[in-house]
Amino acid sequence: MIKLTFVQADGSRIEAEASPGTSLMQAAVNAGVDAIAAECGGACACGTCHCVLPQEWFERVAAPEADEVDMLEFVIDPQPTSRLSCQVVVTKEMQGMEVNVPDTQV
Amino acid sequence: MSLVVVMSSFDLREEDMSPDPANKFVLDPHSAAFAANPYDVYAAMRAMDAPYYWEEADTWMLTKMADVEAVALNKTMLRNNEAFITEADRKAQQRAINFHDMPFHERYVQVNLLESEGETHDRLRKVVFREFTPAMIARQRDAIQTFVDGLLDELSEQDEIDFVSDFAAHVPGHIIGRVLGVPDEDAPRLRHWSEEVVRFFDPGRDDADKARAELATKEFYEYLLNLLADREAAPQEDLLSRLIARRDAGQLSQDELISTAMLILMAGHGSTIDVLGSGMHALLRYPAEHQKLRDDGTLMKTAVQEMFRFESPLPYFHRFATDDTEVGGRMFPAGTRFGLLYGAANRDPARFENPDVFDVGRTPNRHMAFGGGGHFCLGNHLARLDMDVIFTTINARFSDIVLTETEVAYKRGLSVRGPQALRIEWKRA
Ligand code: HEM
Ligand code: FES
Repeated sequence: MIKLTFVQADGSRIEAEASPGTSLMQAAVNAGVDAIAAECGGACACGTCHCVLPQEWFERVAAPEADEVDMLEFVIDPQPTSRLSCQVVVTKEMQGMEVNVPDTQV
Repeated sequence: MSLVVVMSSFDLREEDMSPDPANKFVLDPHSAAFAANPYDVYAAMRAMDAPYYWEEADTWMLTKMADVEAVALNKTMLRNNEAFITEADRKAQQRAINFHDMPFHERYVQVNLLESEGETHDRLRKVVFREFTPAMIARQRDAIQTFVDGLLDELSEQDEIDFVSDFAAHVPGHIIGRVLGVPDEDAPRLRHWSEEVVRFFDPGRDDADKARAELATKEFYEYLLNLLADREAAPQEDLLSRLIARRDAGQLSQDELISTAMLILMAGHGSTIDVLGSGMHALLRYPAEHQKLRDDGTLMKTAVQEMFRFESPLPYFHRFATDDTEVGGRMFPAGTRFGLLYGAANRDPARFENPDVFDVGRTPNRHMAFGGGGHFCLGNHLARLDMDVIFTTINARFSDIVLTETEVAYKRGLSVRGPQALRIEWKRA
């Protein structure tokens, strides 16, 4: 199991565990990170699973595909290291990764 | 259909899994009993070990959230079966449901973003997605507020109204019309066309409905052509003008532009009316929840989500498997048709605590009233903004809202859910 921490907008932290191969969105939802709305269920079709990765992790994880880049244009307050969590696949290298979750998705 | 009959068919054993209509639970979604309470029927279907086979429609019905979600998210599950049937079969299929010999309907209603898959779907969806983002939709808030205020001004002289026909039915034509760029005075025509076309999707459709659907499509088409010509001459800040620019940039064809405009109107018309009605009905059936919302307006967002979950206005869509696939613990061959009962999934106790309780503060509320996967509802932010503005305004302007007829009949059928009428009395606050 890979341990992840979701840091919410108010600074509170939610610890999560995920198996490699599942999505970061799934890990957040399972751990009760309500701010990850993920309304389309992970199809890159809604843009409501926005998260922000720390710079060093952003560089290390697989780059977003064109669909995700298009969709990121529409999230609220996008950052240079923004990702759609449903499109980020958990790998064993992510052990201990921290993920920032914005205040709102809509 | 009584619940007893439903319950007695619970114990489907392995050998019962093959389609066998005799002496088994039979889904009858056109009955008055189903309209009165589909949720007990859904619960009975959900309690079966595997999906329920609905003979009449040759469809395997999914009622568990996990199954519905899995199929909606599965990219090999498509809205149409064109990939594995011949053109002759497609024509025969179209004829079998009486969708043939209606040139305008075939060209602009039967083919659109919702009915497409693959490259066409991705391309069309990308073209219109930006028009329905929260930021774009938020720009409509003042216009929606002004429209709702005006409509309530007209009604506030009356103490008793039918909330559905006197209020809700006027809302979507004006609001979606405004998004598209249709002048306000033409909103009643939009409503008429939309109703004529949508009626033809009802299971009870006949040839008269067919003629009316075709005529409405033709009139709407001609109307749009005129409006497009106006916008070409003088572009405005509206969706049609922006779609014209995208058409001219080669991103979509003229036919696709027209079918998209029609879909936007049709997809959001009846559903908005229905959920306004059922949302109001829920507040009046559960006055303690209504009071909670009156006392704390910050609950409006969760309350609106709960209205969509509790009485999902578009409870049923379908998908075709294009590969052999396991669903709900059973293997199904390519070509199988699945029914996604979003309205049933939204009452699944495996996902929602006390699913049959209407709770305006429910959090999280990961319902599927807007679907899921690649066809996830484009209009969801608009639909929720309408509801937010409307119920906030009504709560501020009216006190003591009560049902004057407590027996509320809901529309019949599987694909729509909403009260036929909702007679209420209200007092200006
Ligand atoms: C008011 C309540 C509404 C509900 C419950 C609702 C529900 C849905 C659902 C469940 C789907 C997915 C269909 C499927 O899974 O096959 C869908 C798709 C769609 N909805 Fe909505 N909808 C609503 C309002 C609206 C509005 C107001 C609009 C437009 C202004 C709209 C536009 C669309 C479009 C264009 C699609 C097709 C998207 C695609 O195929 O990619 N809807 N809707
Ligand atoms: S969950 Fe919809 S885009 Fe990620």
